[in-house]
Amino acid sequence: MSSGLGGLDRPGAPISPGAWDERSEEWLSTEGAVPKAAAGDVLEAAEGDVLGTQEAGVSGMAEAGVLEAAAGSVPEGVADSRPATVDAPTSDRRTTGPRPAPARRTGADPVKALMHRHRALCERAVDPLEIAAGLEAHGITDRTAARFLHRDVFSLAEEMYARVPRDSDAPHSPRPPDTPRARADWILLTLLPGALCTAAVFALHLTQGRSRLIAAVAGALAVALALRAALSRGPLAGRDRGHPCATRITWLVAYALLGDGLLQAAAAGGPDAPPDGAADAPWPFATAPVLALTLSCVPAAWCAHLLAVRARRKLSSSRALQEFATSAKPLLLGAFALYLGALTALLTLTTTALDEPSAYPQTLALGGLLFLARLLTTHGFTHAPALVLTAAASAEATALAALFAARLPGCAWLATPVETLIGTWGPAAIPTAACGTAALTLLLHATRTLTRASAHATRDQS
Amino acid sequence: MLVRIGLIAEGGYPYVSGDARLWCDRLVRGLGQHEFDVYALSRSERQEDEGWVPLPPQVSRVRTAPLWAAEDDGVVYGRRARRRFAECYGELVGTLCAGGATDLSGVSGAAEHASATEADRFGNALYGLAELARDEGGLVGALRSEAAVRALERACRARGALRTAREARVPDLLAVAAHLEHALRPLSLDWYEDDGLGSVDLCHATSGGAAALPGLLAHHFSGVPLLLTEYGVRLRTHYLAAPDSSPAVRSLLAALHGRLAAEAYSRAALITPGNGHARRWQERCGADRAKLRTVYPGMDASRFAEVGEAPECAEPDSLVWVGRIEPAKDIVSLLHAFAEVRKEEPKTRLRIVGAPSGAEGEAYLGHCRALAAQLFPDEAEGPHTVGHNPVSFEEIGGPEIPTLADAYASGAVAVLSSVVEGFPIGLVEAMFSGRATVSTDVGAVVEVIGGTGLVVPPRNPRALAEACVALLRDPERRERLGAAARARALELFTVEQNVAAFHGIYLEIVSRTPVRRLVLDEAGDPLPFAVPAEAHVPGRWTERTSRLVARGGPARPPGAPVRATALPATEGAR
Repeated sequence: MSSGLGGLDRPGAPISPGAWDERSEEWLSTEGAVPKAAAGDVLEAAEGDVLGTQEAGVSGMAEAGVLEAAAGSVPEGVADSRPATVDAPTSDRRTTGPRPAPARRTGADPVKALMHRHRALCERAVDPLEIAAGLEAHGITDRTAARFLHRDVFSLAEEMYARVPRDSDAPHSPRPPDTPRARADWILLTLLPGALCTAAVFALHLTQGRSRLIAAVAGALAVALALRAALSRGPLAGRDRGHPCATRITWLVAYALLGDGLLQAAAAGGPDAPPDGAADAPWPFATAPVLALTLSCVPAAWCAHLLAVRARRKLSSSRALQEFATSAKPLLLGAFALYLGALTALLTLTTTALDEPSAYPQTLALGGLLFLARLLTTHGFTHAPALVLTAAASAEATALAALFAARLPGCAWLATPVETLIGTWGPAAIPTAACGTAALTLLLHATRTLTRASAHATRDQS
Repeated sequence: MLVRIGLIAEGGYPYVSGDARLWCDRLVRGLGQHEFDVYALSRSERQEDEGWVPLPPQVSRVRTAPLWAAEDDGVVYGRRARRRFAECYGELVGTLCAGGATDLSGVSGAAEHASATEADRFGNALYGLAELARDEGGLVGALRSEAAVRALERACRARGALRTAREARVPDLLAVAAHLEHALRPLSLDWYEDDGLGSVDLCHATSGGAAALPGLLAHHFSGVPLLLTEYGVRLRTHYLAAPDSSPAVRSLLAALHGRLAAEAYSRAALITPGNGHARRWQERCGADRAKLRTVYPGMDASRFAEVGEAPECAEPDSLVWVGRIEPAKDIVSLLHAFAEVRKEEPKTRLRIVGAPSGAEGEAYLGHCRALAAQLFPDEAEGPHTVGHNPVSFEEIGGPEIPTLADAYASGAVAVLSSVVEGFPIGLVEAMFSGRATVSTDVGAVVEVIGGTGLVVPPRNPRALAEACVALLRDPERRERLGAAARARALELFTVEQNVAAFHGIYLEIVSRTPVRRLVLDEAGDPLPFAVPAEAHVPGRWTERTSRLVARGGPARPPGAPVRATALPATEGAR
């Protein structure tokens, strides 16, 4: 209470059935009608002195709630059939005080009765010490154990542990896994970037000149902040704070917005003026892909959520790690395909709505890359996404830089590969190749890492 | 002689909300002639935010580490480190899956040999992991990796694994791996360098479990002897607090904690259980009897001095019960016993002093009040006075009972009616107050009371009543018992005896198993007599120019005579 030691080893209050109930009485009335030879001895010990205490202190343990069975509740017939030896303890230690109760009847096997009383403990125990700890928490001491003809609680617990019937065909029923739930906060937050981006695109279409520039900058800032918020919680939230790849992602998205136009203009000798947002200008904005990408935050979050829930379920139902890995691979590929499908649909929608040329390959590649990178980061694998995103971003940057560097005297050969590519497949070839290769690399990586069981372990277990 | 002690605490000293901060604080303050380095593992963020208790000057340094959060250290292992990790971790979990260290009973001959081999395997694997963590700078990432889970799965499916381990499913494997990572966090600490735990003369782990692990590693790396104090056996606490998970997880975790406890007990130079109960558990888990020294917890006796030395101030007809009100205290049985007492001695009163603990305690208190009101009608002295119930429920701090000592002073006989009890602090307080006591035979009661009070079986109100009546009717015996109890408590349970016992134990350990350090000169050759015995004087009187190198290697057998130095006696003074 006052020394601060009390909390160290305070045993818990009894939680298992502490006393006799109807079921125990039923059990008693049918079992143990024929006492073994040991019963007399046990009873003699149990019926010892109640209060043989002069200053020496310790007295016998007349309690033994186990032995103190419900004498009155045993059906008459059964009670009568018992041999008379049971209630005739011949203890000459019993000298002081009146007998608190008349003859006590007990089963032939006190340990069995004790096991019945603590059956939850016995069935749960994984080793004898656990039973010993539980018994002690229920107030059983070495002196009580002596009533069961044991030297101490440990050996009593060992007997109980050894006698617990262990049927292997009744396995522990696994708890239903606590799967993550869809929550309103992240659902709403993932809607935010798409909504803000839509507003920004409308603002771009409605404004002109200087105010359009302001609208573009404000819209970009708002979308970036909204994305940050959307990725801070829910199934896309990282394990640790900080966005290590923010710059690379910004560059990739900016390229999706401006890159193709710039590339085309650069190949044609331009650009002569900064982009003014007009669709038919020499350096056009590709707003449809970016709008589709921001809108796809919602399907991305749902796909990640679906993957988490399914993976958790598979986790709890699988017995071997290999088994989990095998069953998790289709899950991952399914979630990825689902996201790509949703992105395609969104892209079709935005392209039609904004009346822009379709840009499926590069947008799908970029979307897949970003989704996989986020998924890996969410599960704690930050190294590979950072590496691959850097590679993709620098590939795009290199293509642009090569075109501009080729204008230097004597360096015209630098532009040849890029121009060949643009000439063969159009300006979309560069981002498609860069992001597509990166996405495939990450997909291969993810099929190896995200199918591991340890990737789906909850961190708060300890 | 100055001893430099590394005091290792987990979730305790020096944090304000620590478990055992009080006795650690008294110990540190009581041993001002020694120097203490405190190594504290904090248990939660809240605990860290609440700050430390004020530290006396003999605490020369405090190093803390959080146990509740392990940052991903970002250490990436190379191929060889990975292989080393897989080997050590596989060995470790292999011993766990082979069963706990706790089934020691009745083994003999071959079985005992096998068990010793397993314990050895566990120890080697543990120290292997610790060395790996020291070489590579961290272990957290590896312990969380898939390689760890795979090794665990292999061990569970291996031949000879426990039946429960063989049934482990993937979530179980993950849970066990996460728990292992948590339990082995002290391995990644940077405490074991020569300027850390390597520089102390002895490690004092204030509890088993996580606090013993740094001590074990210091012993392994630097040969620092370990003193292990356990007021409550951690293994037992683990069993009682084990969460409800599958049998596979529970059996593996039980094996882990059993093995850790056995390893700590076998490596410790001395073990000091806080009472006979803890001692029995330690013996059972493999502690050598020769190493056990029971050191009872010390309590502040001065608060009870006035009450204890004036026994006549007690009301002759009152029983007092003091404690926290909760179901394990079995106040219902006390009330029934009091009903019996009233049949014999109608003028007796019962004071129940204490506050309920938690919601369960509140409900229990209400139940007890109702029962008391039913059993005992209010009584008045005459037809014109207001009556009182013979049972009163009071709290310390009220007008009648301002302090704890007054609570004991208000009764002639102190009663303890618990059905479950660890170390009965209330009983010791009653003994300090010089009260005759009647207690139930639970926990460490018999050991504490010795022959200086009456003990009855638990859940036996009639026996309790008879003992109370016997004492109420015999003031002389009451006085005799109270005086004896106070004398016994002053002998055994004071702070002074606790501190003196630890002082003696420190000196015993340092003299029997001193750390032998080699001092190297600039060329890297050992300097003989560089650390003479006289170096242990208060204060720093020499400059430390040369490097202190702790001598690692295998432990020397405990208790074996140790020569002061094994180096050739050449002139090599600095």
